Amino acid sequence: MHELSIVKDIFDTLEGHYGARVEDVQQIQVTAGLLSNVQPVLIQNAFDAFIAENRGYAEMELEVVVNDIVAYCDVCQQNFPVHYHRFVCPCGRSSSTIVQGNELYISKVIFKQEK
Amino acid sequence: MSTNTSSPKSAGNRVGSVQCDNTTLHLLKANDYVANAIRERLKDVCVINVCSSPGSGKTTLMQETGKLLANDLNISVLVGDPETERDAIRMREVGINALQIVTGGMCHIEAQMILQALDHIDITGTDLLFIENVGNLLCPSAFDLGEDYRVTLLATTEGDDKPKKYPRMFLTSELMLVSKSDLLPYVPFSVDAVTKDAREVNPNIEVITISTLKNEGIDEWCDWLKEKVKQKKESRLQAEVK
Repeated sequence: MHELSIVKDIFDTLEGHYGARVEDVQQIQVTAGLLSNVQPVLIQNAFDAFIAENRGYAEMELEVVVNDIVAYCDVCQQNFPVHYHRFVCPCGRSSSTIVQGNELYISKVIFKQEK
Repeated sequence: MSTNTSSPKSAGNRVGSVQCDNTTLHLLKANDYVANAIRERLKDVCVINVCSSPGSGKTTLMQETGKLLANDLNISVLVGDPETERDAIRMREVGINALQIVTGGMCHIEAQMILQALDHIDITGTDLLFIENVGNLLCPSAFDLGEDYRVTLLATTEGDDKPKKYPRMFLTSELMLVSKSDLLPYVPFSVDAVTKDAREVNPNIEVITISTLKNEGIDEWCDWLKEKVKQKKESRLQAEVK
């Protein structure tokens, strides 16, 4: 439900980091773990709404990569995939040590080619 | 085409070719920054972020807790709602120092709102600060408010399948309060099943079953709070010694 504020955060972050070069960005890739509560379709819609209002970004594209949840088992000393939010290792022990799935970040920025 | 795999800071100066920057620019960074500023400011106060769906009994529990612990702890409450000041009024009616945060339709409280609210409430001498979040099991889970602990209420009327449906809320909580236990005889809700599901999501989550209206489990809840306040004060003292 707060996808629009995340989209604003995307642009604030880009502007803070790249300054005026933001206008040359062609595509950005956002990586969102399954636990970040970000729905690719909703964030895409929010992104489209944002660039429609902000003409300078009209040609920018967004790609959302979703990461599965991975946890670490202290006993087996290895990672295991978490399915259906069941944080239980195949060995039967519970673990809440999350290795992947919480993240939400801009993972790639592609700039336009000079004409 | 060139690909730049170095750190974002070293990127740039490559105008003229297609440039691909692999980055880790974290979103919600601003919120986390403000949350840490709150932690720094509230070093002497135990801060508890209370989350749940709308109507699971957060405000009623805050009222009762305030009354029961009136002689033990100095309690203040910041209460968030999309609209109206009703909840803060309910708190003040029972003598609790409270300030309403009206989020203006927003589905969660952000750290910035707490930081601003702290300038408008006198929390001198406060041992325990509750942040009563907006009723919502989704969005509030993503926003650190500078709290020491997150407590999530789940009412027996909501169904015992919620920890699996809203995993991040339960994953990020230290305590789950199963509320409205007086209704257990009338609703299809299993405390054992909900505890099992919650612990599959978060093996460390503590569970207390309560009924604010019938005064069940409230002593255990109050003891939990007193212990957490004590721990905070002790860790503060230890930090000062060092």
